[in-house]
Amino acid sequence: MAAWDLSVTVEDLGPDTPPVTLSVTSDLHVGGVILKLVEKTQIKRDWSDHALWWEQKQRWLLRTAWTLEKYGIHADARLVFMPQHKPLKLGLPNGITLRLRACFSNPVFQTVIGICRMLNIRHPEELSLLRPLEEKKKKKDKDSTVEIYDLTEVPLSSVSRPCLYNGMPAHFADSPQMEAIYKMLSVTQPPPAPEVIAKQYRPASVVDKAHINGRWLDSSRCLMQQGIQENDKLWLRFKYFAFYDIEPKYDVVRLTQLYEQARWAILLEDIDCTEEEMMLFGALQYHISKVSQSEPQLLSSSAAMDDLESALQSLEVKMEGESSSASEMLENMTAPELNDYLKIFRPKRLTLKGYKQYWFKFQDTSISYFKSKEESIGEPIQQINLKGCEVAPDVNMAAQKFLIRLLIPAPEGMNEVYLRCENEQQYAQWMAACRLASKGKSLADSSYQSEIQSIHSFLAMQKTNSGSHGNAAASDESINTHSLVSPRYHKKYKAKQLTPRILDAYQNVAQFSLTEAVMRFLQIWQALPDFGLSYVVVRFKGSRKDEVLGIAPNRLIRIDLGVGDVVKTWRYNNMKQWNVNWDIKQMAIEFEGNVNIAFSCVTADCKIVHEFIGGYIFMSTRSREKSDTLNEELFHKLTGGHEAL
Amino acid sequence: IINNHYEEIDAPSAEEDSDKEDQDLDKMFGAWLGELDKLTQSLDDGRPEQSPQQKAPLRQETNMANFSYRFSIYNINEALNQGENVDLDALMADLCSIEQELSTINTKPNSAGGMARLGLTDTKVHTHTHACTQISHSYLDRETSLILRNIAGKPTHLLTKEEQAAKLKAENIRVALEKIKEAQVKKLVIRVHLSDESSKTMMVDERQTVRQVLDSLLEKSHCGYSPDWSLVETINELQMERIFEDHENLVENLLNWTRDSQNRLMFTERIEKYALFKNPQNYLLGRKETCEMAERNKEALLEECFGGSSVSVPEMEGVLWLKEDGKKSWKKRYFLLRASGIYYVPKGKAKASRDLVCFLQLDHVNVYHGQDYKSKYKAPTDYCMVLKHPQIQKKSQYIKYLCCDDVRTLQQWINSIRIAKYGKQLYINFQEAMRRTEAAYDWSSLSSSSIKSGSSSSSLPESQSNHSSQSDSGVSEMTSAGHTRSQSVVSSIFSDAWRRGTQGEGRMPVPLCAGGGGSGG
Repeated sequence: MAAWDLSVTVEDLGPDTPPVTLSVTSDLHVGGVILKLVEKTQIKRDWSDHALWWEQKQRWLLRTAWTLEKYGIHADARLVFMPQHKPLKLGLPNGITLRLRACFSNPVFQTVIGICRMLNIRHPEELSLLRPLEEKKKKKDKDSTVEIYDLTEVPLSSVSRPCLYNGMPAHFADSPQMEAIYKMLSVTQPPPAPEVIAKQYRPASVVDKAHINGRWLDSSRCLMQQGIQENDKLWLRFKYFAFYDIEPKYDVVRLTQLYEQARWAILLEDIDCTEEEMMLFGALQYHISKVSQSEPQLLSSSAAMDDLESALQSLEVKMEGESSSASEMLENMTAPELNDYLKIFRPKRLTLKGYKQYWFKFQDTSISYFKSKEESIGEPIQQINLKGCEVAPDVNMAAQKFLIRLLIPAPEGMNEVYLRCENEQQYAQWMAACRLASKGKSLADSSYQSEIQSIHSFLAMQKTNSGSHGNAAASDESINTHSLVSPRYHKKYKAKQLTPRILDAYQNVAQFSLTEAVMRFLQIWQALPDFGLSYVVVRFKGSRKDEVLGIAPNRLIRIDLGVGDVVKTWRYNNMKQWNVNWDIKQMAIEFEGNVNIAFSCVTADCKIVHEFIGGYIFMSTRSREKSDTLNEELFHKLTGGHEAL
Repeated sequence: IINNHYEEIDAPSAEEDSDKEDQDLDKMFGAWLGELDKLTQSLDDGRPEQSPQQKAPLRQETNMANFSYRFSIYNINEALNQGENVDLDALMADLCSIEQELSTINTKPNSAGGMARLGLTDTKVHTHTHACTQISHSYLDRETSLILRNIAGKPTHLLTKEEQAAKLKAENIRVALEKIKEAQVKKLVIRVHLSDESSKTMMVDERQTVRQVLDSLLEKSHCGYSPDWSLVETINELQMERIFEDHENLVENLLNWTRDSQNRLMFTERIEKYALFKNPQNYLLGRKETCEMAERNKEALLEECFGGSSVSVPEMEGVLWLKEDGKKSWKKRYFLLRASGIYYVPKGKAKASRDLVCFLQLDHVNVYHGQDYKSKYKAPTDYCMVLKHPQIQKKSQYIKYLCCDDVRTLQQWINSIRIAKYGKQLYINFQEAMRRTEAAYDWSSLSSSSIKSGSSSSSLPESQSNHSSQSDSGVSEMTSAGHTRSQSVVSSIFSDAWRRGTQGEGRMPVPLCAGGGGSGG
């Protein structure tokens, strides 16, 4: 067979080095070409990650047993010999940028699997890569120096089999620097400054949101084929909003990043919510940032032992273990109580009397009051059980107003009672007691002290907000409430107006552990009506105007752009098959009952839409297979398009 | 009469087995109780002579906890005054079973244990608990606990006699503690009204769920098992009712009733209880019209809505009538349901999320079905729902009344609110009810059974105030009942068989990609 010259550029020799010329025959297989090439360069190193890239055809020659003839390579082919893993800048949902080595030769689906394995994120099929928004280059390099955390030194071999040391993958346990990066991945970020939120791009309409979805990379092709270069920046995001089998014990990074993505979706109004919901999200963010500062690990949640059941169980343990002093237990028996002079007011009573002072006693879940301290041994004027009541704060630090508003259910309706405290200290104690009592817990409950603490820190927040503006007090108590809500509310409310509203919502979440609070945040996010919708502008067959197709985990919706209303819903459950005509870029879907729809995609390639639908159908199959292994073949079959066939 | 009953309980049982173990236990208790007396004395020190529990505060607004005892007495009195229908034998059986449980622990009358078992007060009971745990701890001497520590994890047959004794001791204490716990459980005598105007009297303990009470009622009444059996709370004064959810605690709910309450607890079949799960397509898809759905699709739909990590609330929105506070007029408003509560669209605004006004949040309220409000409150229709705090028992501005145009809308709202409030728990309740139904299902009674008929009703049920006493109320009167009923039983058997036969093949839509070219290669 006739020999001919094949020229190969070796990337590692630098861009100025001319290509290496090899004499080959058409029946030489790719492995042989590489062998010849390596011999000729005379460089001794590990070439195992290297492979040949065929520039004109935009494809890798990964099958080393295939001959040049089989690949159809002739003398005019421009081949590049380069590593399959190259550094990539990766923006995470929490805003941090990593630099790591990602696979440029396998389909993006596998690239993502590799990245997630390195970062210790389970269920990588739910994530994908997104081309970032072009940053506006108006104010040049003002704060463009974004810190990048480097992970390129992580050996690829160590990633393939993750085993945990100190709760993190081995490659993160190597050095303090690496450990710090892992902490960055697994601990939530502090609330962003209000200016940072305001500066970020916010989609103003459904069409804006639709444009973002045109940026997803194609999962069935590799990075090189999609024009991604070494050191380019991409975003890693949760793409499919069907989160399977979340287990806080194993999903520290996954949960943290998911929370961050959800938090930003709320702050940037990527998803709509009501004012009440926004306040609750704000309260949860506040709580999460507070607790993550005090709790080093996401996993530590000490269950409060307040019911008899667990008390008895622990007794059994103690009986078998060492004996603790009996006096200690006696001490726990005497129930704590609060006693003090407070002022009371009942707004609904038909008396014009204002606040009256009495001697108050808080015991168990009830408040009783007496004429004076001296008479407190006798019978109270009244006893009020607070179990099941609603407690609302009414505090103005500047005016030294410390009011506890109680709404107490009774057969006749709700009774309103206001308790007025003298100072912050007294207020925090009584307020904490009222909140616990409303949940049926007594002062003896283990959460009492932390409840007092959280009230204090919230009061401190109001103090700083109401004080002189612009004093950047560095203490962690002074979180600006504008950091917790979307810019719409920056305009609507001043920070100090926002504080009592968030505080109001906060009392229902203050007892949560970090994990509970994060899970709650995600739960409320998932319960929003628009949750999980990815939009694409489409043109339905026979229609003359653009409309929006919403793709959700379980259904497709058609939105009329004029009215903004959902016109029609189709569920995947009723879907029989779908068709993509790649030539005219049209999708046709057939549902049960002879329902057929067809549309062309305007703001995203129809491969993206195809992949979304197939991807969601793939996600829904996961519960059926009990095994933990990912059925990659099925994913490609459902999302791949013609390349997969 | 009642006192007699209680005395019977208090009396020591003479035929007590007196083997060695029990005597040990008795001695142990004797020791504890001695200590307990000392402790209670020390607790009472520095307090006035009379114990605070015996006298209620002058005005007691909301403290219902202390009320349970009186409550149960009242119930029995009422039952006895009515004379007939009171199943005193059944009641006695309940009491005797408690007595039996108790007699093994404590044979001394008038002791602290005896006081606790009646659940006289809450605070006192808790004191006992702490005291007992405390004492039991010190009762285990150092030697025994040392042995126990050493033998932890050792197989039983390898233990020495001494070690076995220590283990037994510990075990006895554990059992005893559990019995104390049991003795301190509050018990309530309740009267349950049946749909045929008769009633049953029974005893429930404070830990029992509605499901457990339903089970024991079903067992006693020998009526056909169906998931539709419900405990319904009717509040006569407000003309409203609510089906208790299976997971709810019954006693907790009943303690909200006032002493002179005219409220009733009904034991009856209600198809609307689980209609949501029998025909989910009518509730979960936000459709305006009712429709049929294949069984396998129903299952898939339910799994999709309730099987995941979070439950999404059905998209419920539309115009409802709202009764204005303190007025007789009803005003139209556009309401929306979200997981975070019920909202309405303020005048002149679009229904964008951020502009919605919160009408109420669902944490503290329950949803009731208002009855005959056309005449009572001049409501536009009789399809009314009420939202209120469970403790409110009388007319109040804190009760919210909403009126729907038709029964279908009403049922959709009520069920959607239940989903928003209870989420997955509701589905778990249904599955549990179905499991029990299947277990109790007897093929020989196929023709008379009511089990399958419910699933075929094509229309939303209308809940009637006059319920028939028959148990086969699967199909509502709105459907053309008659022949559909018998047919549906048969057809559902066929569809079941069909489903089983075809279940093997997983059904999944597949992409068909036509055309050539494209960008790749």
